[in-house]
Amino acid sequence: MRSRKIKLVVSFYTTADAFAFEAACKQVGVSGRLGTVPRQMSAGCGMAWYAEPESRDRIVAMCTEQHLEYEDMAEIER
Amino acid sequence: MDTRKKEITTLVVCGLLAGAVAVVLAIGGNPKNMAICVACFIRDIAGGLGLHSAAKVQYIRPEIIGIVVGALIMAIVGKEYKATAGSSPLTRFFLGFMMVIGALVFLGCPLRMVLRMAAGDLNAWIGLVGFAAGIVTGVFFLKKGFSLGRAVKVGKAEGIILPVVLVVVLVLSLTTALFKASTEGPGSMHAVVLVSTLGGLVFGAVAQKSRMCFAGGLRDTFLVRDFSGLITIGLLFGIVLVYNLVTGGFKLSMADQPIAHSQALWNILGLYVVGFAAVLLGGCPLRQLALAGSGSGDSAVTFLGMLVGAACAHNFNLASSTDGATMGGQIVTIVCIVALFAIAAVNLKKRNA
Repeated sequence: MRSRKIKLVVSFYTTADAFAFEAACKQVGVSGRLGTVPRQMSAGCGMAWYAEPESRDRIVAMCTEQHLEYEDMAEIER
Repeated sequence: MDTRKKEITTLVVCGLLAGAVAVVLAIGGNPKNMAICVACFIRDIAGGLGLHSAAKVQYIRPEIIGIVVGALIMAIVGKEYKATAGSSPLTRFFLGFMMVIGALVFLGCPLRMVLRMAAGDLNAWIGLVGFAAGIVTGVFFLKKGFSLGRAVKVGKAEGIILPVVLVVVLVLSLTTALFKASTEGPGSMHAVVLVSTLGGLVFGAVAQKSRMCFAGGLRDTFLVRDFSGLITIGLLFGIVLVYNLVTGGFKLSMADQPIAHSQALWNILGLYVVGFAAVLLGGCPLRQLALAGSGSGDSAVTFLGMLVGAACAHNFNLASSTDGATMGGQIVTIVCIVALFAIAAVNLKKRNA
């Protein structure tokens, strides 16, 4: 059985924001993947970025530098 | 129980409840293989309100009102009610308009497509190809940067307007003779109001809780290989399939299916329009109702687009019949496809990264 880990989950206002975020992460080398936004984070059905919790500072810095918008950021067991 | 298991359990329970509601409504007297078709029932409401004059499809369907109110109740209980609006409302109106035109050329929304598939209707299985192709096209534009822009928070009352108006319409339909009601044809076939209303409420609550979306389930499969959205749909299909097998309602064929036609091209293209529009909108007709109940003014506007689209489909003879797609329906389906590509192209946003 796959073990559950704590993930840093970033949600977005629009799907376009999620894809822009993914492109930026690839550009600056922040590892992670796109997935559906977890139920406990949003009632919406959009995309979210799943990363390691220790990436938080790099992600915040990247968003500031590149003017990327995100809706919420939380650590969730996945 | 960890969060993922909890999510899956919720989806399974919601899928079982959705299937049970569809079966109860079918037993209760709703038209065959229709049970709880969102596009057909919005079309019936349009007829009931006198927005079109097709005498056989006029009835204020409590299921639609129940879905919106059920989603509202579930959103409030789950502290997920959030009044938002402002994401390209007019574009959404026309996307809703086109989505219902496509559905009425096929003769059913994606929910009815699944119900028809579970009854052995091969036309619906063929239509699924078009629906999936529409979703793939929408996903292509999403990946290219398509966006209708961000919705913003608005006053809480803004999100309540549609549910309140729908409840008033339902009450008026039960207490006055203001609205039209079919005496023959699909509009005359319905479960008793209490069963229809309760069925709608449960279905709406389940749709809100599970984020059930026929387009979203496939979209997430194509986009991020997440299959969880297909759980509720799969269970709904399975339960209705068993019901049809047990009651003799299952008939594997293209011909002589109830309220369906067997023109493969127009079944495919009709659902292509639905799939494409649904991805651009961020949800299928059912999902739009659930979102409208959860406070989305944009989805409420989409509902109005579907209502007007359904009325136009019958006023201008665009909706198909059991004989097949009309000439007008064929022309407008092509126009819708061109319009969807145009809307998708002009709403591509430039990436920051």
